[in-house]
Amino acid sequence: MGLFLQDLVNGILAGGILAVVALGFSLVWGIMNIINLAHGAFIMLGAYITYQLFTSLHVDPFASIPISFAIMFAFGYVIQKYVINNVARAPVLTTFLLTFGLSLLLVNLALMIWSGDARAVTPTYAGSNFSVGPVTIPWAKLATLACALAITALMQLWLARSKLGRAIRATSMDIGAAQLSGVRVAQVYSIVYALGAGLGGAAGSLLSLSYSLNPSMGEPFIIKAFVCCVLGGLGSVEGALVGGLVYGIVESFGSQYIGTGYQDAVALVVLLIVLILRPTGIMGKATA
Amino acid sequence: MRIQNVGMRFGGLWALSDVSFDVERGAIVGLIGPNGSGKTTLMNVISGVLKPTSGSVVYRDRKISDVPTYDVCKLGIARTFQIVKPFANLTVLENVAVGSMYGRNGAKRSTSQAFDASQGLLERVGLARVAGKPASDLTIPDRKRLEVAKALALDPDVLLLDEVMAGLNLAEVDEALQLLRKINDEGVTLIVVEHLMKAIMLISTTVVVLAEGKKIAQGTAAEVTSSQAVIEAYLGSRFAERQAQLAEIKRQAEVAQQLERGLP
Amino acid sequence: MTKLGLGGITGSRQAFYVVLGLMAVLLFVPQMHNGYLENLFRGILMYGAMSLGWNLIGGYTGYVSFGNVVFFGLGAYTAATLSTHGIRNVGVAIALAVVIAVIFATLFGPPILRLKGHYFAIATLGLALATQEIVSNLDYFGGGTGLTVRQDQFFSLYYYVMWGICLVSLLATYAIARSKLGYALVAIRENEDAAAVLGINATRYKVLAWAISGTMAGAAGAVFAFANGFIDPETAFSVDNNIFPIVMALLGGVGTVAGPVAGALILTAINETLWSHFPKVHTIFFGAVIILVVLFLPRGLLYLFRTRLSPRIFLESLRAYRV
Repeated sequence: MGLFLQDLVNGILAGGILAVVALGFSLVWGIMNIINLAHGAFIMLGAYITYQLFTSLHVDPFASIPISFAIMFAFGYVIQKYVINNVARAPVLTTFLLTFGLSLLLVNLALMIWSGDARAVTPTYAGSNFSVGPVTIPWAKLATLACALAITALMQLWLARSKLGRAIRATSMDIGAAQLSGVRVAQVYSIVYALGAGLGGAAGSLLSLSYSLNPSMGEPFIIKAFVCCVLGGLGSVEGALVGGLVYGIVESFGSQYIGTGYQDAVALVVLLIVLILRPTGIMGKATA
Repeated sequence: MRIQNVGMRFGGLWALSDVSFDVERGAIVGLIGPNGSGKTTLMNVISGVLKPTSGSVVYRDRKISDVPTYDVCKLGIARTFQIVKPFANLTVLENVAVGSMYGRNGAKRSTSQAFDASQGLLERVGLARVAGKPASDLTIPDRKRLEVAKALALDPDVLLLDEVMAGLNLAEVDEALQLLRKINDEGVTLIVVEHLMKAIMLISTTVVVLAEGKKIAQGTAAEVTSSQAVIEAYLGSRFAERQAQLAEIKRQAEVAQQLERGLP
Repeated sequence: MTKLGLGGITGSRQAFYVVLGLMAVLLFVPQMHNGYLENLFRGILMYGAMSLGWNLIGGYTGYVSFGNVVFFGLGAYTAATLSTHGIRNVGVAIALAVVIAVIFATLFGPPILRLKGHYFAIATLGLALATQEIVSNLDYFGGGTGLTVRQDQFFSLYYYVMWGICLVSLLATYAIARSKLGYALVAIRENEDAAAVLGINATRYKVLAWAISGTMAGAAGAVFAFANGFIDPETAFSVDNNIFPIVMALLGGVGTVAGPVAGALILTAINETLWSHFPKVHTIFFGAVIILVVLFLPRGLLYLFRTRLSPRIFLESLRAYRV
């Protein structure tokens, strides 16, 4: 029973970060219909920003989250505005290869700057845990979960209440109608991609507290983000949250009973099951 | 062909309920009804694209719903789509050739035979002049012709035409009607969905009227246009009452006239 | 007035003949006794075959697969496993790799090919990653360390065999493109609903296309295992082996016969040039090259030879898809 609970808690803790990862991915996919293969690179860059701030300027990792969000936001905005917007409505082959090329570029840039050696962010509180009954919870991971939930809540509020948020939701429902209502779609797209990049960066910062860094650390998250989106439904914050948590738990139990080496296989099986049985996801509504 | 008690439900909505009628060989059945009455849904059911929730369509003793969509053309049933579905990056000739290669008699044909047959089909519908153009470059009337040509490439006995005349001007409609008559003369049974009343009335041997998913009238063009139920469906019940009142007034006036003349 | 194989299906006939000519020339590479060149061109032939394979499912059928490397990897491991058990005959390895590719496609094809667009792309990506993972966990296949393959004395044998595979793939693509099967695939790509109504059993043809594309990649993988002398999950299922064939098809011309091979030649040339001039950062430039090709040359280089050259061609894609 203790083991079960531990796995469950581990799953929830991991799921929180996955939710943030999935949210960034989901917004870009749900609103612009672009699968951003560079999302992993954004996560990685966010982690390295935190690393650099920590080692060079002794900025606490949690404090670096807004900074890495902001930097990656700006970065994503520029990329969308000047590169991706040019082919935003292109078919999947184009957008896939484009974002793949971008990913290749960024990962190797990181390789050049920071080399392939594993790096770590090690604040003083890194290793300490506390226990609740049979379950051990690292402080850092709990704080990470709290941050992740805070970020998703903030995004939800902002999307629902702000003028820009409403413009974004309108664009995702009907581009033509949104344009006729005065929404500048190109601008919306740039903001959405920037948000995706920023959220990826924030997720990366959160990850840096629990995992070591290397330039390809973000790649596995793309498939995971995809599965979370499929599980939870596209384009919604609740969907990303549900998808992330569910996937985190599945993965946690999966590595307990099947072994840690089979993560991708588990992801694929979950993906195929969901896509074949309930294509709109656990929470999703029917999309065109 | 027998359409028997066909019902089609999407979620909570019954798009079709209990629709039944027979289609005689060689007939031209006009299928009309106000927007949303279920005409295209019925076409989808007859052509095997949708499986009816209840009821069945029986053709030559086979239930269409038992046959996978890609085998329906082997039974001899072909259709056009209301929103045309051309193979955009292929030429007009290639578009039709695909149907010729894979349709009812396709297995016996080689690619070159299919292309030869398609050339003839293009001439029949009047597309020979654009045979080498990519389908994406065609005008609307030509796209409609292409839809018909592709369907004809399947050597059908029954041809379903879904709003094939939408977007055509008067001259083009006349050409289309001529073409349909020609096809029918060659022995093909037609089921035609149209909004253009005049067109339907001119060529149909039988007219079936749908409203809100139910069949409300069936008969010759004249019978159907004077049916109370049909007028009500299209123009509303108040209009229908008014028409009835006017008809009654006219009749009474005629009787009065008769009486006047009859008085010594 | 029947014109078979118009540009839309096979691409330019001249390009096809040029590529055939190039293939004839390539036959003489081993005679030059230059190990570097032999490896280089063997690589081109390998990628040519893989790209032709991808082109069949991604270009002609319109199902953009991002996991065809799984066939390559399975082929490579087939050869390596056979070698471990003493069977070092290249022919046997290829035959078995082909059989396995067909079985794999027939098994996983029906469920996965029901997905479309983005979903299909990611599902195939997931498939490749999952297969890599599973293979690296199984000790029978050498786990993470991989397997060594004992090579034949006559090393150039592998060059000639790879040449043969590329040629067969090229001719097969040409034959398919002109045949009824080719039209079925293109019809599925253009409008699957219309294709069904015209009598095409989409599932059957999709699986067939994927199976054939798998055999091309699988055969190439089998020969690669021998030529490389060593196979591990990273090498067999590498991202490069997944993505290169796709970019090559794009560069040469998706949905044409000669495009993939032309793309393989040109992209390898670009890659080698970048490597020799910028040894440390060549991958960064390579990423930039991919981005540029996607933005400005999505219809491939061969398209340039079929239309009148003007700067507008490079902006075509932007104009069509810009937001």
